[in-house]
Amino acid sequence: MSSIQIAFIAILFLILQLLLVDLLSLNLIRPDFLVIFVLYLSMYKGRLYGMIIGFSLGILSNLFGVGSYFGLEPLTLTIVGYLTGYLKNIYEKVLPYIFHISWVLIMLFHFFIICYFRFQNIYISDLIEFLFLWLATTSYTMLFILSMQFIYPFKEVSSAEIS
Amino acid sequence: MHSFYLSILKKKEHLLFILLIAFSLNLLLKNDTPNSILVRAKFLDSFSFISSPSMWLKTIIQLEQETQLLREKNLQLALQSEEMVRSYQENINLKKLLDYKRDSNFDLVASKVLNMGSSSNLSSITINVGSDDGVKENLPIIIPEGVIGKTILAGKSTTLVQLITDVNFRASVRIYPSGSVGILRFLRDDICEVREVQKNAEIKLGDTVLTSGFSDIYPPNLKIGSVIEIQDEIGSFQKIVKVRISSKIGSLLNVFVVRNGNNE
Repeated sequence: MSSIQIAFIAILFLILQLLLVDLLSLNLIRPDFLVIFVLYLSMYKGRLYGMIIGFSLGILSNLFGVGSYFGLEPLTLTIVGYLTGYLKNIYEKVLPYIFHISWVLIMLFHFFIICYFRFQNIYISDLIEFLFLWLATTSYTMLFILSMQFIYPFKEVSSAEIS
Repeated sequence: MHSFYLSILKKKEHLLFILLIAFSLNLLLKNDTPNSILVRAKFLDSFSFISSPSMWLKTIIQLEQETQLLREKNLQLALQSEEMVRSYQENINLKKLLDYKRDSNFDLVASKVLNMGSSSNLSSITINVGSDDGVKENLPIIIPEGVIGKTILAGKSTTLVQLITDVNFRASVRIYPSGSVGILRFLRDDICEVREVQKNAEIKLGDTVLTSGFSDIYPPNLKIGSVIEIQDEIGSFQKIVKVRISSKIGSLLNVFVVRNGNNE
């Protein structure tokens, strides 16, 4: 896959995010298709692509409108790109559950940063409530990741460049 | 020197990571710089049309529901209107008698929501009015149910609105009928909390929360919500009041910008 193709798909994902996010919104919690794309891309192409595309998508996404934390999305997507890059080509080398726990942890970390910024008042006043909101936000996007596993599983993505 | 270049090349991914993180943090910490505001405003002006298909679809979906609601409302209003006309006439006569000065004068600008951002949590919306319509930063945004935010970025034809659901949103409010004042901030879903309320304030469930008028942004007596829970802070002279705000924030289609507010 060439860089132009990747950039084109990235823009498609951004438009998808912009168009669908409101229709799929549940109680002000919305799915994050951009993080799904960055996760897949980093596993497939490595850290460098993951970070650059993650950062660019984050900036563009924030430019389309965010309240008082402009810069948060590039920050989290860059981290996702960097960390997920470590999962490239390692599916065959580690135990499957370690591989899967790794990306789940990355997702949890990504949403922890977002939720910490978003619900910092609740984080201070009611930790249990914060944990619930964090897990709810993460789970909603995870549902989409899990459904993607039936179409294009991480197992294939991680080892795509080897094969 | 050659080995230095080689080592940089070898660690380019880590260096890039540090660079991008530093840049993101810099953006995050300098949200309000003029350059950042200018770029964001220009971008919104140029590209906000991209999300218009989804808003159009949303409008269609909600239209049927809204029509039904409007029919019901119309019937109720028709029943009320006759009595109100009579009351209005009576009011005019009484005002004349008391030399009452009309002092509620909002200059409202109706606007349509263009997009609701793309982040995983809703904190802002973009509306289709801008500086050409006389909209500037720090103007209140209201819907019939009450205040829902303020403008933070005004482009020529679009404006970015910070919603009440943004973590950094604050408003000075007064709780009626007790008259206690406090600072409102978002908590979760459609619930906000009012802090800095004196412990001896007599507040009851269902009390109305309005803007206090102490702020430069919000004129007094704009509705925000109603009290749903009162908590006494242990070891403090203050209490926390939980407030239910409009639940329509997740599905806004039209909002009003208060261009010039005087509701004292």
